[in-house]
Amino acid sequence: MAVGPSGRQVRFAVDTGGTFTDLVVEDAEGRFHLYKATTTPDDPAQGVLDVFEIAARDLGTDRRNLLGRGELFIHGTTRATNAILTGMTARTAFLTTRGHPDILLFREGGRTDIFDWSRPYPDPYVPRSLTFEVPERIGADGAIVRPLDEAAAAEIAQKLSERDVEAVAICLLWSTVNPKHERDLAALLDRLLPGVPYTLSHALNPTIREYRRASATAIDASLKPVLTSYLRGLGQRLEEAGLNPQSRLLLVTSSGGLVDADDMAEKPILSIGSGPAMSPVAGREYARAEAAAETTVVTDAGGTSYDVSVVRRGRIPLTRETWLGDPFFGHMTGFPSIDVRSIGAGGGSLARVDSGGLLHVGPQSAGAEPGPACYGRGGTQPTVTDAALVLGYIDPGYFLGGAMRLDLDAAGRALQEHVAGPLSLGLDEAAAAVLRLVTEKMARAIEEITVNQGIDPRMAVLVCGGGAAGLNAVAIARRLGCVQVIIPEPAAALSAAGALMSDLCGEFSLTCLTTTADFDFDAANGSLSELVESCQGFEGGPGADAVETSVELSVEARYVGQTWEISVPLRVTRFGSPPDVEQLRQDFHAAHTELFAVDDPGSEIELVTWHARVSCRLREVSLPHFAPAANRTRESNGSRSAYFAGQGIVDTTVVQAERLAVGETLAGPAIIESPVTTVVLEPGASAKRTVGGSLSILPGSEG
Amino acid sequence: MSSDLDGVGLAVISNRFESVVRAMINTLFRTSRSGVLATARDLSCAVITRDCEFLAAAESLPIHVMGGDLAARALQELHPELRRGDAFLNNSPYHGNTHPADHSILVPVIDEEGTHHFTVFTKAHVADCGASRPTTYSSTARDVYDEGTLIFPHTKIQKDYRDCEDIIRMCRMRIRVPDDWYGDYLAQIGAARIGERLLLEMGDEYGWETLHAYARSWFDYSERRMVEALRELPSGRVTAETAHDPFPGIPNGIPLSVTVDVRPDDGLVEVDLRDNGDCMPCGFNMTEAYAKGAALIAVFNSLSQPVPPNAGSFRRIRVLLRENCVAGIPRHPACCSSGMSPTDRVINAIARAIAELGEGVGMAEAGVNMSPAFGVLSGNDPRSGGTPFINQLILPAVTGGAGMPRGDGWLLNAAPVVSGAVLRDSVEMDELRHPIRIEDQRIICDSEGAGRFRGAPGATVEYGPIGCSIDVMYTSDGTLTPAQGVRGGKPGARATQHKRLASGDLVDASPERARLEPGETIISVSCGGGGYGPPTERDPERVRHDVVEGWISRERAESVYGVVVTASGEVDGAATARLRGQTPFED
Repeated sequence: MAVGPSGRQVRFAVDTGGTFTDLVVEDAEGRFHLYKATTTPDDPAQGVLDVFEIAARDLGTDRRNLLGRGELFIHGTTRATNAILTGMTARTAFLTTRGHPDILLFREGGRTDIFDWSRPYPDPYVPRSLTFEVPERIGADGAIVRPLDEAAAAEIAQKLSERDVEAVAICLLWSTVNPKHERDLAALLDRLLPGVPYTLSHALNPTIREYRRASATAIDASLKPVLTSYLRGLGQRLEEAGLNPQSRLLLVTSSGGLVDADDMAEKPILSIGSGPAMSPVAGREYARAEAAAETTVVTDAGGTSYDVSVVRRGRIPLTRETWLGDPFFGHMTGFPSIDVRSIGAGGGSLARVDSGGLLHVGPQSAGAEPGPACYGRGGTQPTVTDAALVLGYIDPGYFLGGAMRLDLDAAGRALQEHVAGPLSLGLDEAAAAVLRLVTEKMARAIEEITVNQGIDPRMAVLVCGGGAAGLNAVAIARRLGCVQVIIPEPAAALSAAGALMSDLCGEFSLTCLTTTADFDFDAANGSLSELVESCQGFEGGPGADAVETSVELSVEARYVGQTWEISVPLRVTRFGSPPDVEQLRQDFHAAHTELFAVDDPGSEIELVTWHARVSCRLREVSLPHFAPAANRTRESNGSRSAYFAGQGIVDTTVVQAERLAVGETLAGPAIIESPVTTVVLEPGASAKRTVGGSLSILPGSEG
Repeated sequence: MSSDLDGVGLAVISNRFESVVRAMINTLFRTSRSGVLATARDLSCAVITRDCEFLAAAESLPIHVMGGDLAARALQELHPELRRGDAFLNNSPYHGNTHPADHSILVPVIDEEGTHHFTVFTKAHVADCGASRPTTYSSTARDVYDEGTLIFPHTKIQKDYRDCEDIIRMCRMRIRVPDDWYGDYLAQIGAARIGERLLLEMGDEYGWETLHAYARSWFDYSERRMVEALRELPSGRVTAETAHDPFPGIPNGIPLSVTVDVRPDDGLVEVDLRDNGDCMPCGFNMTEAYAKGAALIAVFNSLSQPVPPNAGSFRRIRVLLRENCVAGIPRHPACCSSGMSPTDRVINAIARAIAELGEGVGMAEAGVNMSPAFGVLSGNDPRSGGTPFINQLILPAVTGGAGMPRGDGWLLNAAPVVSGAVLRDSVEMDELRHPIRIEDQRIICDSEGAGRFRGAPGATVEYGPIGCSIDVMYTSDGTLTPAQGVRGGKPGARATQHKRLASGDLVDASPERARLEPGETIISVSCGGGGYGPPTERDPERVRHDVVEGWISRERAESVYGVVVTASGEVDGAATARLRGQTPFED
């Protein structure tokens, strides 16, 4: 059997996305195999079983046998996100400090598109009718201003029961400084509402700013029943299908780490936005191995959205400002997650010309139904995929390895009517314009996140993932001035591959306010040793099987008087003397300059929240090797006509990715294709296959 | 790079300019220090052409930037020779700025040959601007001398990329929180320099002449879009009257009048603000930037299709102003410190005038809300040995969005000049920063202007000092004249402010300032927004939602909306039909 000698174990990573369920199998020889099946939104576990069926067939075995050899099952799922989007979360109550019932309604304010009044004010995550004010108050210094009124709290518990509440979110003001009242309420619910899950804000998300904490708490509580039952159901179905009961089920988190399934059920908010979270992990490994680069832009191009993340000096920056839905209109998760910029641009993005004669591409998408015009399912609006087809970049007979035949004429008609006609352009020029504009939008998304993270894209390696990555990777790199593009071998399932390359992670944080001017050595060192202890506990517990463990300490800090903190890595685990503090101060200035191009060397630093992240590596460090998918690859290379801006129609070499030898250089114009992706090499660009299996591209220039 | 400026090239380059502005805003927001900037985001950035035309200002506050051409023009008049490395500080109400608390930094973008191509512009509402009173809204100041703000008419604050220390020292001597101010200044300079760098890179990449040609094409495109959008408006000429409430020093308030002439066939709107009184001996004089901005904002709010706001689309909005007019062009030494309060009124009146032209256009009036929830706090913080502090609160509980032709008022609208764009303070952040406790903050049941689409309700907030006394300065309006409804919609509830004494008794608070002693609190009630269309035409399902969610009472649902909602939260369809068949309904 192709999965290696019997008796040796295999590992699985399954990424359930909106459209596809991706599976990467790491066989007993350490080779990776990549599979895709359609996602089944009503019963996502079915899609998981389906993709194992496809894999088993390809590997010459049956599903039961394949699953039976698993020692590790890593799962990324959009289950939680979808539950929120479709309103399938638990009936959740919100308990908060008396006087502040509208925290979730008021949010933090703000609007975009200031003259567009067509979007209504968003509803609170928990309605006011399920919001309860608890008589109590803690002050900013942690002192109890008004003690918790236990009798009133018991009455609230009674109402929750009468209202058939299924989950409870508890967020009291200043609970991060003094959690007593939240804990007292928890004890009361344990007694009066046994079995109803609840989330305490100070335990979930110990951050100041009540809306973010409350929002995280409400989202988390509302997901507990649904995620618990999903994970239990999935575990059962997999075991019934043959998954080794000894195998470990790990879930991907929004901060790019892995946690045990039971921990995820306890903190389901960890799973929000975990979809794109593994791409940067994979991107970081490929950039290191293939380009010796520590600063990287990682993109993931799907059908409707384009996700951009960055790696700065080997670290993947986190943000607390992740939104479910659009900023200001959705809900902020308020939870640390990988900083991903997501825009509505992809193969399915619709192109149109407005009444003033301006071309637009996206954010509206043709989706999977009806899909691009060339799918022949009734779509009449042109999409980016239609434009790529018209330009000759995609072979209508070899889309998804020939699984779907594309209608070139339909694509041409749609483009002619909606773009070429209104702009008085030729068909090819119109198609090129669509690609150029979508390229600009993607480049802009990259520019925004890199500028916000203080990265010069010209100094970064661009790692492109996603099935549609190769269509304009060269064009994006040229636009941004990137010197090198890497298209990793598992580009089409970058997130699932990243999951197998990722670490088991524990994250711990504590608030301890002090300043560099008047540094409180005892308090800071006390916090640090507590954090290190937590990491050691994790190392000996969930991380006991790791091949290597590391701990990263950092502090969220700001100039005295600033409002927003930035994260600064610590060089010490204990502050021994004033020079250690001065070093931190200097590191802060440097980090501030890196992010914002300015610093204030005369200013002292306020230190707020201290973090520890323990990472336990589950596999030896090295890029995976992929087993060839020879049975789906075409026999030979060929050529076809393709259009390039400034050159017109050019007879273009078409090379099968698998047939490009390691070290062989291919000069554009050329197209490199495989069953799952197409890479366009424009004139002036060149590509080389690396030892690690990636395509390394020098974008060159048009001229 | 090709220089084609067809629909494709335009789309590409306009994306780039928006990116530049976003990068500037990010730096300014993330690195500034005062709460009013770093939390509330009372700041803006923009790019202006060499001909002083307003080009791009993604995600800025419209009132900050829509008159940005005025400031750029004044800069070029005062400094005909601009050099690379220069930066100018402008807060002068007589030189294109909004009000003096808005510090603007302008940086000319100059290539290596010394040619000026664009001007980047950052604006930030500082925590203190050195006025005689501890506030950034000196409503009762008779003139600029009484106001006492340090006025900088495009004063060079950097030369060769280095601070002019004289100016910095002047600011440090007069601004109450000099370190906060300097931190904010650094954030503004940093943002402007990032914008400059990015534009210089664009110039290298595209060529300057391409960028200038782009600007011309972009303006033409935007003008075409505006013409088309205006074609959808009904034609007509309407005059609307309104008034700012009486205030200490202006016992009769400020009557205001606007005349709007919509000419769809010409693709033109004319807004005439000349029929208003002369500048008054108070802080409520509008600046030219406010007056122009008010007209532009109100018209843009009334468009049903998106039009890019820039000098091109502005060509189709003619704003008629008069010198030495309270709603026009102030003459030195008129004080303009609180000029945004009448600006709110003018925006409201224009929107209401347009609504009178026909069904489906314009807006009701929005709450005017410079209440104590947006007050400027000052005092000495006992937690840090009496360190002085001053900052404007931007608490969530200022609401009052206007009912609209196709939707309910935006809850956190704040004020017409802001249009919901500012962010709001967190209770915890405010309590950490200042020696105060915020006791209560919520929307007020039955305070919305009823309508087919209702205004947003008002909201209340109560807070007080801990362990010290504090001064709160604000500019209450809307206690007398509420936000009006339109086309049969009802007015929103009025604003109030009260002080709760240590004894628990409530007393009226002044409309301008309050000194709060330990144990005392101030209770701020902001205006509700006006409704659009008759409330009896409101979808019963929306009424039901408002009842269940506690926005309105069941009694009000019946008496004002004619909708019967049962105790279990269902619409009683038959009873509703009976009720809606009867007339009249109570106001």
